[in-house]
Amino acid sequence: MTVPSSLQQLIQALKVLPGVGPKSASRMAYHLLQRDQAGAANLAHAIEYAMATLSHCRHCNTFTEAEVCDICADDERSRRQLCVVEMPTDLLMIEQTLAYQGLYFVLMGRLSPLDGIGTKDIAFERLLERASDGEVEEVILATNFTVEGEATAHYLAETLRARGLKVSRIARGLPVGGELEHVDPSTLAQALVERRGL
Amino acid sequence: MADKAVRKPRRKAAADVPRVDAQPAFILHQYAYRETSRLLDVFSRDLGRVMIVARGVQRPGSQLRGSLLAFQPLLLAWFGAGEVKTLHAAEWQGGLPQLTGLPLLCGFYLNELLMKLLPREDAYPALFGAYFAAIRQLGCSANERAAVEPVLRSFELTLLRALGYAPTLDRQAGGAPLQPGQRYSYDAGFGLVPARDGLPQFEVAVLQAISASCFDDDRVLGQAKLLMRLAFAPLLGDAPLHTRQLLIDLQTL
Repeated sequence: MTVPSSLQQLIQALKVLPGVGPKSASRMAYHLLQRDQAGAANLAHAIEYAMATLSHCRHCNTFTEAEVCDICADDERSRRQLCVVEMPTDLLMIEQTLAYQGLYFVLMGRLSPLDGIGTKDIAFERLLERASDGEVEEVILATNFTVEGEATAHYLAETLRARGLKVSRIARGLPVGGELEHVDPSTLAQALVERRGL
Repeated sequence: MADKAVRKPRRKAAADVPRVDAQPAFILHQYAYRETSRLLDVFSRDLGRVMIVARGVQRPGSQLRGSLLAFQPLLLAWFGAGEVKTLHAAEWQGGLPQLTGLPLLCGFYLNELLMKLLPREDAYPALFGAYFAAIRQLGCSANERAAVEPVLRSFELTLLRALGYAPTLDRQAGGAPLQPGQRYSYDAGFGLVPARDGLPQFEVAVLQAISASCFDDDRVLGQAKLLMRLAFAPLLGDAPLHTRQLLIDLQTL
């Protein structure tokens, strides 16, 4: 028995998702068609709706339905600080802390020279444009503490500093409430290297 | 009566699977793999470059995640007979600061060279030692070009020697000795030839310094960079080195 072409097409389409291979894709396809047809219609509609309505915020590059996202449109927030993150999920994490009152910029990726991802593959030019609007005084680099995130931070810092902006990097070290006894040794080592004066 | 006891088919015993224990290694690069795993491109001392899958490290609270860092000396244990091995344990060795800034980008450059040029599962213990030394020197380097370039040139030369593509620097291509005071050009795949117009020219004293890995002079450094680029060009082919491009971009700021 051959698989009908429309079913085959659905399986192929599901394979675009990260971590989904042929086997998972066909399992998902059969589940949607056999057990949850309403869910399938809902999924199709949600994808179509998101594709049609979402775009990048003109200021911070995150996903939004309007031209400017809610955070950028909020007059209460400080326009002097700009926090640069890799992904929209990072932005949400920082927002949850309630510790930051400035604005954001989402790179939508990071530099990864070993994967061939360079400055043209992330929103690098848009960041330079955004940071040199005259209002931003400090750029806070909140890229991940992976080697790629560090490389991105270094590259951005050099470029932004050359434009006369103040650049800072979020701190790393022991977690809040962390006990030396239980922390992993690489974090502890780096906390000693990056210790600060009191 | 049963004439013969039915023999159970022999099951593959755990002892059959090749195992490697406490192997000194560096992670060159890692890729996300499946939902919670990572695929590691590892440079180990005694087994060379190996691909290892680290299962479950992307899960929150994974003990291994803090250890699987590039540019940090590790002791890895893995098993498996296929092309991709399975990580069993990873121990962070410490002693080297994490690279940041320009030395970090230079570290990426070394890794890109190794990933492009080193064949899989071929041991290069001496090169591993040179890589370890280079990462250590980068870790102590200041965030400036003058500090990192000697480290890069010296590693490039060791890499070329390990692969058997190092330029012969003590005589001409035909075997004739170098004449002191003369200048020579480098013809990749051939060797040193009397200076030609339109090609970079190297002084004999500089060639001797490069051969001895003495990169403490600006003149030597400048010419060594050109010579290395010529020597690597046929090995790397047309594919550009992304890290080199990134370093050039930074220089032009």
